[in-house]
Amino acid sequence: MIIGIDVGGTHADGVLLEGGEVVKKNKVNVNQTNLQDGIVTLLESLIPEPKDCLSEIHLSTTLCTNAVVNEEFEKVGMFIQAGPGVNPDFFSCGEYLYLLDGIIDHRGKALQQPSNDLLKSWTKELKEQNISSIAIATKFSHRNNSHEILIRDQLNSTFRFISMGHQLSGVPNFPRRVYTSWLNSALMSTFAQFKTSMDKSLQEMGIDCPCYILKADGGTIPFDHGCNFPSQSIHSGPSASVMGALALYENIGDALLLDIGGTTTDIAIFADGTPLLEPYGATVNDRPTLVRALQSKSIGMGGDSCVIFDNNTFVIGPDKKGPPMALGGQVPTPTDAMIVLGTVETGSKEKAAEAMLLLCPQLDPTVTARQLLQSFVVGIQNAASEMVEEIFSRPVYTVSELLTREKIQPKQIIAIGGPAKALQPVISDCFAMNCIVPKDFEVANAIGAARARITAQASLYADTNLGSISIPEVSCHEGIPSSFTMLAAETRLAQEISLLAEEMGMQEAPAIDIIEREEMNTIRGFSTTGKIISLKGQIRPGLRTFEEVI
Amino acid sequence: MSLYMPKAANKVGLVLFPAFDWCISPSHPEREERLLYTRDQLIEEGLEDFDNIFFFNPELAKAIDINRVHFCVPSPEELMTDSHFISTGGAIRAAKAVMENEVDKAFAMVRPPGHHAMQTVFGDRGFCVINIEAIMVEYIRRHYGIKKIAIVDTDCHHGDGTQDIFYNDPDTLFISMHQDGRTLYPGTGFLDESGGPSAQGYTINLPLPPQTSEEGFDMVMDRVILPILDEFQPELIINSAGQDNHYTDPITNMNFTAQGYAQLNKKLNPDICVLEGGYSIEGALPYTNLGIILAMAGLDTSHVREPGYKSENFKQSQKMNQDIENLCAQALSIFQNRQNTKKGFFDKNSVVKRKQIFYDTTGFQVSETRIYHLCKECPGYTEIIAEGLSQHIYGFSVPFNSCKRCQSKARDKYTKTRPSHDTLTVLQDRPADIFEKK
Repeated sequence: MIIGIDVGGTHADGVLLEGGEVVKKNKVNVNQTNLQDGIVTLLESLIPEPKDCLSEIHLSTTLCTNAVVNEEFEKVGMFIQAGPGVNPDFFSCGEYLYLLDGIIDHRGKALQQPSNDLLKSWTKELKEQNISSIAIATKFSHRNNSHEILIRDQLNSTFRFISMGHQLSGVPNFPRRVYTSWLNSALMSTFAQFKTSMDKSLQEMGIDCPCYILKADGGTIPFDHGCNFPSQSIHSGPSASVMGALALYENIGDALLLDIGGTTTDIAIFADGTPLLEPYGATVNDRPTLVRALQSKSIGMGGDSCVIFDNNTFVIGPDKKGPPMALGGQVPTPTDAMIVLGTVETGSKEKAAEAMLLLCPQLDPTVTARQLLQSFVVGIQNAASEMVEEIFSRPVYTVSELLTREKIQPKQIIAIGGPAKALQPVISDCFAMNCIVPKDFEVANAIGAARARITAQASLYADTNLGSISIPEVSCHEGIPSSFTMLAAETRLAQEISLLAEEMGMQEAPAIDIIEREEMNTIRGFSTTGKIISLKGQIRPGLRTFEEVI
Repeated sequence: MSLYMPKAANKVGLVLFPAFDWCISPSHPEREERLLYTRDQLIEEGLEDFDNIFFFNPELAKAIDINRVHFCVPSPEELMTDSHFISTGGAIRAAKAVMENEVDKAFAMVRPPGHHAMQTVFGDRGFCVINIEAIMVEYIRRHYGIKKIAIVDTDCHHGDGTQDIFYNDPDTLFISMHQDGRTLYPGTGFLDESGGPSAQGYTINLPLPPQTSEEGFDMVMDRVILPILDEFQPELIINSAGQDNHYTDPITNMNFTAQGYAQLNKKLNPDICVLEGGYSIEGALPYTNLGIILAMAGLDTSHVREPGYKSENFKQSQKMNQDIENLCAQALSIFQNRQNTKKGFFDKNSVVKRKQIFYDTTGFQVSETRIYHLCKECPGYTEIIAEGLSQHIYGFSVPFNSCKRCQSKARDKYTKTRPSHDTLTVLQDRPADIFEKK
């Protein structure tokens, strides 16, 4: 049996699953400044008898998200080696930012070492300031990690928490690498404290099963791995809801997921039953990062958003000004419209009708209510088509990709969240598609957390002319023979990803998807000098099967 | 939008299409690998996340866009691969982004290039089949009503194709700076090639000596190009942004730099850049392209330097400075005397020019005769007779700025021409956007 817990803004949901079935579910209030108390209370209510039936705990926590939202970061000594290119003076990583010299070029050639003297004097300064967290990012470290390692080796004995860009992601994008490694280090000590106190509580409860943390990409990592990669636990909430939808409804195919809340609606997209990922990573409180994340778009419209009627159109959100009028609030909301139409049964129906009259005094409240909900859904629809368009517009680099690319055409809609049931017919109508509201949708996130499996990804860059291979996520940068082939590269990458998954506790890694593949001959003068092979592979976000869960 | 990323002062659109699955031949300079390192550099710099920088995929050009400019023998479809339709479509996409105010400026980093493709096309010349800028220019005129356009060609090779296409058009100012044709393909681009009878002084060639460095390029910018642009007052400036003047380019002999290209684009301030040549794919293109983009965006370019570059290695001699100064003075006077030289043709009804065009990629020759029909009201229409690879074409080309009379004269003449089994007879009527053949 498995426990899934999703910590939200005000409360935490938890489920105990046996196979796909919910055996127990519960909800407790949480205090964001002391998450573990809420989590422990919830755990105590969910633990099965006997305790050893419990095989795993999966936790989606707001710990790091909160730290980010409140900008409560540990001070970080940030070492950046930018080399030639864009002037790095735009980086904003707090007061301890150090720009090192040294160059690694686009092919991963180390052309100039960073200055040792500078490193030494900066290390001294950081020591004096009692800084314990360090982040290191060099341009093109996904091609050659040697300078990040060299800098790390200089600092290793002196600082407790160190993040290196290449270990966090093998995806190119230097500014994102800088912000990701900075963010990771800024969260390490917070996460370590949380882990220590959770371990203690679990021990007191007599639980010794493995514990996993949900990541933004819909996968999990073991709790202790999380200590090295706390940044990956940011934005796990939306990923819990996506995985929840996947668990609650089979045959998703090409679909839109709408998670309709009080103040926002989150939209995600499934293609052929798999949730789509952001091309680079999550944007974390305005910082672009390489934190692998499911793609979701949040719009400022929810059941409790305030509504005004202006210039013959309803303007919904993005502000929330208290509860719906039917529940004692001051301004009309979409929830009031649902109450007028009888699709939500709570609060005062009279007050709700008043809200509609406030918007359109001449019209029958039910007519206004219908029109209002329709504009609400049209708003969601516009955002969804923008999202589909954005995905379609992602850059492609080959003739065949350009000629064969196709726009995703969602065929159904899964709606979850408080107002989902009430909006179901309007959504069906506006989108002219089947809209499904799965059962147990109120605990979808906790179920999603429980059913998520380990994900792993890695990238490979082999240059047979230079005779080197780089698999940054596993800190591999070594020699290869000039005869190295695409097949060898694919095999190697799949092996590394399986190993990563095994290290994290996955008994048998599922098939590895190779999701990007580039092969190019290098030619100098008029002869072929080698080839460059570039690959990206992953264990895609997906559900564990029931056999695995039991 | 992000406080954590740079914000470009100008909105810039980038059409980055490296066509990783297309080459002329596997070891040709125009091969799959050409923009690999450029793509890698631009993506690693995170330009996709910069505020006010936008990436667009190319669209596919249509035959009508090609036929508005070229006479393709036997047809565009026979001569072009998908990749040509895409690179042309990339230039068109960049132009659309600017003309429809999606962005302030745009750069089409596409391949294959186009500036050696002339009006008549029988095959591949100098890595080019069709002239992607020229097609873009006429697309802009057709769809957005723009008249006066300046094209500044900063490729190391003379932009002989673009020159050929706009040679008799006084509304297109064509300036090419390049390595002296006596020392480099295509062997043309001298001062005296200065425009057709109706556009004398609107083609300006600046043949620079081998080893010209930043100093020399600065001189031609400051002394010739900027003053001429100032006087011509174009509605749009286009940079044919070839990057093979770079000191590491394997097929040329110049000493220009990434900094140089960035500074040049700051001064030139083009609305649209279209990539042309540039074959130092590792040592130059990642830096020159980045430099051009940052310059267009109004961002700091000072850190864009080739690893290992030392400016003291690239000082020009006194003699070279003197030569370039002279060149500048002569070029400027050609433009300044443009009205006077035009008068010389007024008493004639037509002017006949003949030329031989060599197609280097597969090695064959085309003979071409061009009859410029002169008119006091407009640049006049052109008759073109060309023959190569045992194929013949007889074409009538009516420029976009033609008067009604010349337009109907050309049509009459086309109508009266009897179709012949071995000759493609064609009417290209740009004002009416008509392309007919028989």
